[in-house]
Amino acid sequence: MPERTRRAGLLYRPQFRFACLAGPGAVFIVVALLLPLLSIVVFSFWRTESYELYVDWNLNNYRSLLGEPAYRIFFLRSLLTAALVSLVCLVFAWPVAYFIAKHGGRYRLLLVLLLAAPFFTGVILRVTALQGLFGPIGLVNMALAVFGIGPVGVLMYTPFAAGLGLVYLFIPFMVTAIYLSLVNFNFELLEVAKINGARPWRAFVEITWPLNWIGTAIGLVLVFIPCLASAVTQRFLGGPQATSFGMSLGQQFGETGTWALGSAMGVFLFMASLLVILVVRRTIDLKRSGFTGALGA
Amino acid sequence: MPGAILRLQSVTKRFGTVTAVDRIDLAIERGEFFALLGPSGSGKTTMLRLIAGLEQPDEGSVVIDGRDVTALPPYARHIGMVFQNFLLFPHKTAGENIVFPLRMQRLARAERDERLAWALKLMRLDGLADRYPNEMSGGQQQRVALARGLISRPALLLLDEPLANLDRELRSEMEVEIRRYQKELQIPFIYVTHNQEEALTMSDRIAVMHNGAFEQIGAKTEIYTNPATAFVAGFVGHANRFEGRLLELSGSMARMDWKGTTMLVPKPRDGRPGGAVQYAIKYEDLEVTRGVNGFDPADRNWLAGTLRDVIFKGQTANYIVVLTDGSEIIVSSATHGLDLQPSEAVVVHWPVARGACFQV
Repeated sequence: MPERTRRAGLLYRPQFRFACLAGPGAVFIVVALLLPLLSIVVFSFWRTESYELYVDWNLNNYRSLLGEPAYRIFFLRSLLTAALVSLVCLVFAWPVAYFIAKHGGRYRLLLVLLLAAPFFTGVILRVTALQGLFGPIGLVNMALAVFGIGPVGVLMYTPFAAGLGLVYLFIPFMVTAIYLSLVNFNFELLEVAKINGARPWRAFVEITWPLNWIGTAIGLVLVFIPCLASAVTQRFLGGPQATSFGMSLGQQFGETGTWALGSAMGVFLFMASLLVILVVRRTIDLKRSGFTGALGA
Repeated sequence: MPGAILRLQSVTKRFGTVTAVDRIDLAIERGEFFALLGPSGSGKTTMLRLIAGLEQPDEGSVVIDGRDVTALPPYARHIGMVFQNFLLFPHKTAGENIVFPLRMQRLARAERDERLAWALKLMRLDGLADRYPNEMSGGQQQRVALARGLISRPALLLLDEPLANLDRELRSEMEVEIRRYQKELQIPFIYVTHNQEEALTMSDRIAVMHNGAFEQIGAKTEIYTNPATAFVAGFVGHANRFEGRLLELSGSMARMDWKGTTMLVPKPRDGRPGGAVQYAIKYEDLEVTRGVNGFDPADRNWLAGTLRDVIFKGQTANYIVVLTDGSEIIVSSATHGLDLQPSEAVVVHWPVARGACFQV
């Protein structure tokens, strides 16, 4: 009898049940996420030679990463691209999200799902579709040719084209993030602001924007971070002037086989992303964002 | 009324096929506390939104302080408004909420601070200016909302069921407070409510609204004692209703038949013998006694029945009497000196001139 109760006791102990529930997920995260990340950090201090990794602790990878101007240019280019793409996404996404949240009515969910439609296909296919649209013999240029306007070169194989592609790829994330914030926003507060003398634009700045800043910030991070690392879009659409940090990083693991340098670039990218998240986090004051729950313990 | 602060002229608002507000004319004077009383769906909130500029009327005009504002947006009307669910800005402190209208008017900071101090004092919110709305009680939040509505000294303050979300005790306290602010500031208040006690306690004048139109508009005592329509008689105060047939007219009185009993009632307007009528008599106008003794049956109507229950309410009690035909009638009376027991045979009686009778 005492044996039985002890075993039953173990089964019913909350810690045991919690471990059963959370255990598999935690193991997966450690094995599939943290270990690779850790190994990249370790590799970044090793050395590669003729496609082989050697355990030879050194800082040379970081030295060349910070010292060679090419990497600096790639990184700054990626940084600028990510910043501009985030900004453009923000400006385009806000009105769309606002319209869906306010006037979507019973079609709201459907409209948001439509935004996700491009995800039904792969990223390569979507980028290729853009080539068909903007390329030298693409739909846009062919239509322009009908009116005697020569092919517009800037639309394909330029940094501009790469940026356009990134905006197209990532704007759904921004719209969704802002939309999810706006569906929980009480639009009546805008009526209150107007009665109290605020013109529509002022009401937006005073009420709508701060109360939806968390959602907007999440959207910015969701666009900025993958843009900073992106390689495929630039490779397909960007042409020779658009080589990004992500493209260069990919090359280290492929063509050149310099895994150690590639790992150092990965660590650098990870740190840069972390820094961005920390900067965005600093702009969020929960009370100033209308957060009404308990403020942590 | 030449000095009217607010004047509505034949204001009409339709939503699809529903006419929410139907050709309303209204003038509100300086310093007046005006209540719009009506059941939900009667159009009172729509009327408030029309005055605020949150809705555009389909017909008619809205004039505030001699200026036709019909086509103006809310932010150009210089009015204040207080809502049922407070609607404070959750990301601003109480103080920031209160000065919001002044900031929109670009008032100098010194004057803003001065007025904030005044409003905090008036609303008894001292020391709470730095709290966020979610750190305050419902009553405090509602006082902040009132302060925000009043701080810019608007031409008029609109209140949309402001006390409906507060508990009973706080509500009666706020009723007195709100009336005090109004009398102190002399800003006309338009107070929308479905709660007749609130309307009767606080206002000077009441309009009873039903199906988008005014059933009756007048001083609150007039509305209470002299209802103009059967709807008002049923909605304001607590009344027993008798539906019957008019037998004959005699001077200012009329004889009516109710299920075989003849009652003497005030003469209904346009009443003629044989017409269907509805007679309403308030609970407190009735008396309940053990027998027919002690009054002259010539001056009083009376009905016999059995006491079913006594609902004790404190100062008064409601006596529920089942009449011989099975219908129930309620008498509200002071509790002292009555030792009636349930299932006792009783008589309900009242002076013949009391109550109100309407042609239906």
